[in-house]
This record gives sequence, C-alpha cells and structure tokens, in this order.
Amino acid sequence: MAVREIEPIELELDRLEHMAESGYYNPYTLFDWPDAIEPDMPWMSESLTTLAGTPMWDELTREQQIALTKYEAINFFSLNIHGIRELMSEVVMRIHERTYANVSEFLHHFIGEENEHMWFFAQFCLRYGGKLYPAQPTLQADSVEHLSPVARELVVFARILIFEEIVDHYNAYMATDESLPHIAREINRVHHQDESRHVAFGRMIFTNLLGQVAKRDPAEVPLVAEYLENYLRYSIATLYNPAAYRDAGIPDALALRRRALEHPARHAAHERILKRTRTFLTKAGVGRELVK
Amino acid sequence: MQAVREFILDRNPKLERLDDDLDLIDSRAINSLAFVEFIFLLEELTGESIDPEDLDLDDFRTLNAIGARFLKQKAAS
Ligand SMILES: [Fe+2]
Ligand SMILES: [Fe+2]
Repeated sequence: MAVREIEPIELELDRLEHMAESGYYNPYTLFDWPDAIEPDMPWMSESLTTLAGTPMWDELTREQQIALTKYEAINFFSLNIHGIRELMSEVVMRIHERTYANVSEFLHHFIGEENEHMWFFAQFCLRYGGKLYPAQPTLQADSVEHLSPVARELVVFARILIFEEIVDHYNAYMATDESLPHIAREINRVHHQDESRHVAFGRMIFTNLLGQVAKRDPAEVPLVAEYLENYLRYSIATLYNPAAYRDAGIPDALALRRRALEHPARHAAHERILKRTRTFLTKAGVGRELVK
Repeated sequence: MQAVREFILDRNPKLERLDDDLDLIDSRAINSLAFVEFIFLLEELTGESIDPEDLDLDDFRTLNAIGARFLKQKAAS
C-alpha cells in the first residue's frame, strides 16, 4: 500500500466518536429472532424490488412476487456482506498507518460495527433463507491501475461511501415499512442508524482525499469521476441478480435482467437511488458531468 | 462470437482492433466492473451457467480461449 505519498488525514470526529460510544449496543442480544417469517409477507418493500414499476412485475403471480421479495432481500443482504467484507479488509490494513493515525479511533468503531452488520445480515439470510448468494468474481488486474496512489486511496473510501449510501436508501425506507415482518424492519432500522455516522465520516474523508488528488494533479479529477460513475452503474447492476429471479421461479432470468435494466421506470428508480450521492459528488467537483 | 466482440468494443471505444489473442484482462479491455456483465453475457449465449465461486480466469483471457471454452464446446455438444 503506497500511503507514503498521502498527507496525514485530520478530521474533526469527536461528535461521531461520542455517538458511536453512546449508541453502542450488543447485536448478539438485540434482536428477537422469530422462528420463521410470516408466509404471505414480503421480505423487502415491493417498491424496492428490481422489477417494481414495470409490466414484468405485474406479470408475476402473487407467489412469484412474494418469492422475488424474499430472494432479492437475500441478495441485498448478501451484497452488503460481501461488499463490506472486501472494503473492511482495506480499512483494517490502514488502521495503524501514519496517514490514518488521527482517524484510527473512528476506524476502530467502523470495523467493529461493520463486523456486527455482517453478522446480523447473515443471520437473517441463513435462518430464513438457508443461504447467502456468493460474491461476484473480481479481477486482479483492477480498474484503478491508471490512477495515482492518492487517487486509489480516494477510490477505496469512495467505494465504501457510495456503497453505504446506496444501501442506506433501502434501509431508510424499509425501517418504517409496515408491510414488512418486524424482524426485517428492525434489521434495516438498526443498520440505518449506524450508517448515518459512517456516511458522515465517509463524506469527510472523501473530501479530504479529493482535495489531495486535486492539489497534486487537477487533471486526474475527471479520471476519478469516470471511475466513480462506472462504480455507481456497477453497484446498481449488482442489485439485479439472475439467480434471485431463478430462485423466485421466474423463467428466462438473464433476458429478464437485461429488459429490466433497460426499462425507463428502472432508470428513473436508479436516479432516485443515486440522487443523494450524485448531488454530493457534483458539489464536491467530481460528478458525472466531468466524464467525457 | 460477434456478440462477445461487440460487448468488448462497446466498452472500449479507443480499441482499434480486437485480436483473437489479445489478453482482455491484462489489457483491461474487461475490468473488474465489467466482468460480471461479461459472465452474464456468456451464460446467456451458451445457456450454461458459470459458477462465480469456481471459475478459471484463463478461460476468459482471450477471444480464442473464450471460443474454445464456451462457444465451440456448445456447438460440438
Ligand atoms: Fe454496515
Ligand atoms: Fe457502514
């Protein structure tokens, strides 16, 4: 890890650290896990499924619709688990680097909390769904080789931030969706609470590192914008898992996935999911308008 | 194979020619972010499912390798 070229990160984190301390809870005893999920209830909000707003949703039988909410909930939680597992390992490697000495305290809270999130998401999937979906394959020769060390550092924290903001769009809605089983609502609510601190931290560290990138070479900022735009699209596409369609008993999963991803109602949904993040990136000076 | 070429060329407008033995991964013609979509495309073309936990990158490295592993195999069966 080439963090020597990066200036030490100084952030005002007292408030976030206090909140992490005072809001600390024991996840292993917090939840009341029922034996089973009520059979006719959706596992995730119907309006958040990948077919919502399209004729493809209306064409499903009610059984298929409920099954889709079930398998897309498992997919959503699985994405959370694998996404955070990979990104957390990056943070662990940095926790005692000189660059991060000043934010190390908060990073300890972050890692601890993410470990707990992985646990309760996996509990939900394994108890009620009997499985997780596997992680998507990644390539060694990665998509950031053309970037400078400080920009790659920015990308690590940008991925965490983007990922957390997308997930939070779902959590915030489901935290109060009365159509969901109590346990599903609770998991979303508790996660939403912790993530508000992570997102606040993520935006601060993003702004710091972006400033360092721009100072070193302003010409690199559009390259970062391009990477981030691709990452946003990639993240949205991972929500559409053909395995979930198949498990829900819907035929032609791959063709359905393609049609859904192209549907105007889904494009509008993607804009809603990404709205907060896009606004932030544009204000920070690294939005998609820089991408040629 | 035409659909595979189009997928790669669409995502790499700067690529002037696409040789059958170009290393698609080392040259970053297919990067991590595109790889998942690429696998779905191959699954759709072949009707075969590809297990993300059990794949050999060398099967995806060049058009030649992809043809041998995924496309001809199907024609022969
Ligand atoms: Fe989390
Ligand atoms: Fe988080």
